[in-house]
Amino acid sequence: MTKSDDLAQIIIGCNNRDSKCFSQIVDMYASRCYGYFYRLTGNNDVSDELLSELFVKLVEKIASYKGGSFDAWLFKIASNIFHDYLRSKQRRKKLLDVQKEQIESQITEPKLSDNEQIDKLQIQLARLDADTRELIMLRFYSQLSFKEIALMRSEPIGTTLAKLHRGLKKLRELMEG
Amino acid sequence: MERLNEENLKELFEKFLDAEQAESCVEDVQKAEEILREHPAPEPDAMLIANIKAEIAMRLPARRAYVFKHIAYKTACAAAVVMFLTAIGLNLFQKGPRKPNGMQLTSIISTAIWESDDIAADDADLAIFTTEIEQIEDELMSLQSGEDQGNGDSTITELEMELIEINNSDFWKG
Repeated sequence: MTKSDDLAQIIIGCNNRDSKCFSQIVDMYASRCYGYFYRLTGNNDVSDELLSELFVKLVEKIASYKGGSFDAWLFKIASNIFHDYLRSKQRRKKLLDVQKEQIESQITEPKLSDNEQIDKLQIQLARLDADTRELIMLRFYSQLSFKEIALMRSEPIGTTLAKLHRGLKKLRELMEG
Repeated sequence: MERLNEENLKELFEKFLDAEQAESCVEDVQKAEEILREHPAPEPDAMLIANIKAEIAMRLPARRAYVFKHIAYKTACAAAVVMFLTAIGLNLFQKGPRKPNGMQLTSIISTAIWESDDIAADDADLAIFTTEIEQIEDELMSLQSGEDQGNGDSTITELEMELIEINNSDFWKG
């Protein structure tokens, strides 16, 4: 049985409300989704919250998955959750009359907690614009093809390719500089 | 991280750029992705994963109950609609007295009798009366033509008696 057949069986189990199948999905995707949230937020606590929210949403929405790339479907939910988080963060910050630029820098600004080390990559990622950063993380953690990413972002594949290339090139320069 | 999205990047870039530029772009992408692989993000805590699994397990029965309730409400709504439509079909909600569907007239005498020429077979009284009328007619004809044989007074008297008897009988009352 191939990996995609296994996944299809697990998804059928999830649709039948089998908690073991949901646990398997968590084991398969938790690491990648956590990495995606962490690289976008730079915060372990927020990433914990977003990851929990993602799998709760998965339970609620699994019946709406109608085939196609499961990874694309799951990361679309992850992306929506991240954007909801950004919006709520912006609303809170607006109340304090702080500008959007400050918010975005704070979102990705690494925060030290006990035994937590800030890696160089996280610092350099914070220097990229929000959209490029998200695109790079989506490509790296979702493992989707450019075509799938372009479809998810509702933009032409050429635009996705160009943005990603520019972003990765800049990141490489920042990391090597 | 294991590469899952095996695409021919060069071919993809060549759709938009010349071969040399495409090759350079592919190199940029591959080197940057190599940097990302060299700096892995932290893994989720084992406790977090356990909590997520526990929360999912806790939500599943609640979800089942929700689905059951949802189906029950849907069924109840469908049943109400069916009952309402049936009631409309049966005119249960019609106001005021109900209209007759139209008057049907019918004879109390059967069609067979109306169409029959055999009076004797259909009505004995009518047959007797018809016979008497024919008899009276014959007698009147005899009197008018002077064929009576010398007993004219008695014949007239007899005729009058018959007419009185008919008049007094219940025949005309039906």
